[in-house]
Amino acid sequence: MSAVDLDSDAQAMLKVAAGDRQAFAWLFDRYHASVARFAFRFVGDRERAEELTQDIFVKLYRHAGAYKPTARFKTFLFRVATNHCLNEVRRGEYRVSHTSSETPEGEETGAVEMAGPEGDRPDQALAGRELEQVVGAALGDMSARERAAFTMCRFEGMAYRDIAEALEASEAAVKSLIHRATLAVARRIEELQAGTAPARSRA
Amino acid sequence: MSCGFEEDLTAYVDGELPPARREEVTAHLDTCAGCRSTHALLRNTVARLAELPAYEPSSATRRAVMAKLDALPVPWWERLRKWLRPVVLVPSLGLAAAVGVALLLAGPGPDAPPELEDPAVMELAANLEVAEDYEVLGLDSAEDLEVVANLHELEATP
Repeated sequence: MSAVDLDSDAQAMLKVAAGDRQAFAWLFDRYHASVARFAFRFVGDRERAEELTQDIFVKLYRHAGAYKPTARFKTFLFRVATNHCLNEVRRGEYRVSHTSSETPEGEETGAVEMAGPEGDRPDQALAGRELEQVVGAALGDMSARERAAFTMCRFEGMAYRDIAEALEASEAAVKSLIHRATLAVARRIEELQAGTAPARSRA
Repeated sequence: MSCGFEEDLTAYVDGELPPARREEVTAHLDTCAGCRSTHALLRNTVARLAELPAYEPSSATRRAVMAKLDALPVPWWERLRKWLRPVVLVPSLGLAAAVGVALLLAGPGPDAPPELEDPAVMELAANLEVAEDYEVLGLDSAEDLEVVANLHELEATP
């Protein structure tokens, strides 16, 4: 990729590497929601996701000099985000606390604070809230890498190739991670729809 | 009920298979009821995930991140780089040389000359060895400087 071909993200990131705070703020505004969503799906807790999101952006700023414009910025950002989340979980800083597996009946959690559709269509077997709980339970039971791959794929719409770069894995490995994770979520939804398993119990 | 095609079904739903493999899976689905069922389940799941409530990130994050950036310590190499700017370096080195000559001519005295108490000159003097290192290494980009600044992190990495 030549300098002429640099997209606006890459150009901004090069400015960040030179200490440009405005460029950093611009990138933050563009990607804050994505990173926060990723962190939330990863740890399943709003407050912890907030801390992780802050740390990820500070890390991005401090290591901006490591960015090479040959890599897509979003992929670079998610490599930083993934490494940070995986390391924090590995170090025991964060226990994954996806709400649906362990939350007692009626207790409010980060996951259910989210605004959104309540699934009030009569043809929908699951309300948005129940679906959230089912997906949360499945995410909580996944390995960290499955959860990271699944989140990037399903909630960020990233291509397998980009996920592989972010996870420093092969595309074949990513395909397998996403398949296992999606199948696990599918089974949870299937069980709930069939009424054979409560949303809040581990399978 | 698992067969050799099942592993590819999610990638099939996601449109991530190479064209040749995609055709094989399409043909297989006509003949395998198990895979057809799994495929329908996966497709339904991917569609249902789009119905999840949207996650609303905190609006306070931006302010918190900017405050953390403000609190970051200024790396020593960045401070040094300011001293190495010609507009600072040349007069400072000239001053340091003049002081050195004056000291040689006057001989050692009981009190240090007042010029050496100038914090700028003192810092430059304290870092002259480092400045020479930069010159020897030919480091001229911010990236190279950052590598040097973070050498301790590289050393800590197993």
